[in-house]
Amino acid sequence: MNVEKIREDFPVLKKKAIYFDNACMTLRPKQVVDKVVEYYNEYPACAGRSIHSFGNKVNDEVNSARKLVKDFIGAKKESEIIFTKNTTESINLLANSFNGERVLLTDREHNSNLIPWQRFKQGILRSNLDFTFNLERFSEIVKNYELISFVATSNLDGYTLPIKEIIKIAHENNVKVHLDGAQFVPHNEINVKKLDLDYLSFSGHKMLGPTGTGVFYAKEELLKGMKQFIIGGETVINSTYNDFVMEKSPHKFEGGLQNYAGIIGLGAAVKYLSKIGLSEIKDHEIRLRRAVDVSGLKLIGKNSGGIVNFNVPGVNFHEVATILDTSDNIMIRSGQHCMHSWFNANNIEGSARASFYLYNSMDEIKVLNEALNKLKKLG
Amino acid sequence: MICLLSLIVFGVLAIFSASYRPLVKEAFDCVFRRVTLRKCQSGLDVKVKSKIVGKLMGKSTKLARGVHKYFEVVSWLFVVLFFVSLFFSGQALYNTIVYDNCNGPIGEDGENPFCILTGEGGDVVEQEVLDCGDPLCEDGQCETCGSSCECGSCEG
Repeated sequence: MNVEKIREDFPVLKKKAIYFDNACMTLRPKQVVDKVVEYYNEYPACAGRSIHSFGNKVNDEVNSARKLVKDFIGAKKESEIIFTKNTTESINLLANSFNGERVLLTDREHNSNLIPWQRFKQGILRSNLDFTFNLERFSEIVKNYELISFVATSNLDGYTLPIKEIIKIAHENNVKVHLDGAQFVPHNEINVKKLDLDYLSFSGHKMLGPTGTGVFYAKEELLKGMKQFIIGGETVINSTYNDFVMEKSPHKFEGGLQNYAGIIGLGAAVKYLSKIGLSEIKDHEIRLRRAVDVSGLKLIGKNSGGIVNFNVPGVNFHEVATILDTSDNIMIRSGQHCMHSWFNANNIEGSARASFYLYNSMDEIKVLNEALNKLKKLG
Repeated sequence: MICLLSLIVFGVLAIFSASYRPLVKEAFDCVFRRVTLRKCQSGLDVKVKSKIVGKLMGKSTKLARGVHKYFEVVSWLFVVLFFVSLFFSGQALYNTIVYDNCNGPIGEDGENPFCILTGEGGDVVEQEVLDCGDPLCEDGQCETCGSSCECGSCEG
């Protein structure tokens, strides 16, 4: 993987900014931006309803993006891919049509996979003391639930759950599995068909795609039984004053005029990532994470994948982020990373988090290390 | 304490630019919490502190460390300095309005130290010699002294 060549695709990196907040949002290559601009400049119309040439072009582009996403996650059919605003909306879609009562979550869920389930009877599976997944305990309790909704890779520390085993055990107990793939899909190869995964949610903005793009995947047979979430325009075939005939999936879940520019841009992002290869990207991120000088830092969580979560003793985590930004143009995240529940349960006020992606370089890690060494002296 | 300073500084800046107004609000919230003996929640103090420390770190790690460690003390110092200078500025302004110079009434010895507001300093300027055009220069007091006209008698 040629990082220098990749960096040329990201015009914003010419600003000499060191961007390590990729777990929140990634940058976009010019291929994605160009595709978004192309929509507005060349065929800025509606899809799915207008039969003029612009409308047909938008239809083709959106369908092409849907196919790219389908192939990217290894789904069986394009109708299993539903475009949403983001992971949060995808999970809300599922929670809205969930007919059961009991849902099992882990203790390290992002708010987006915690709050929508709080109106159900929730079980929280605690991690082991070394922050790993407690598979043994999971095997014992999974039968008590109708659905498990787990974060596949944590935005706290990049730890990835043993997905294969979890799905296998859950299905043996006749329990459906939903994965919050917001941090998993952008960094790992996934094949939902092979995994026999029931539901998957992820966002476009964490994988080089435009903001306001997300995906919800569900097996075709499960989608048929799911209630609509947002209804109205495009979700129906016909209507009377008192009733309507529902569209088929995916359109029955995509209410109203869609973010066509974003969806088309997401297609370009998926294409870009597929061309480079996710296993290459993953290896690169791990190399970067391992090159971070963590001596003297208080690490938070497991710290795997491309995430380093830490505190500098004697320096507030928000100070760490602001000082790095002011002194060396290094952008990291600070706070509770939308995981207030985990921080509250562990009595930790917050932390600083550096997260890496394909365009980050070893030179940038050197700058980070130098800055961190100076920071350590402040404490 | 930096919040109090921020409130004043941003308050003045906010008169001229709307972009400072959210910061004033934040600073006010912070000051209000501090005077009611609660912790500042807006994070403004942390933001200001870390911005300053971040800038200093590029120049001197030692200085940055000192400011980081004693930031509250430094903040207090600046707050005290601010109020002391505010007091003296107010006093000087009052004197300028009332006595036409920032030092107040002139002492019996006629000494009047340098005053930045009037630009005059040192010995008191002799007021007796008035210009011919001055209405206080009574008739018959005008004399032509060399090339100029003076009120009173020519010296020398």
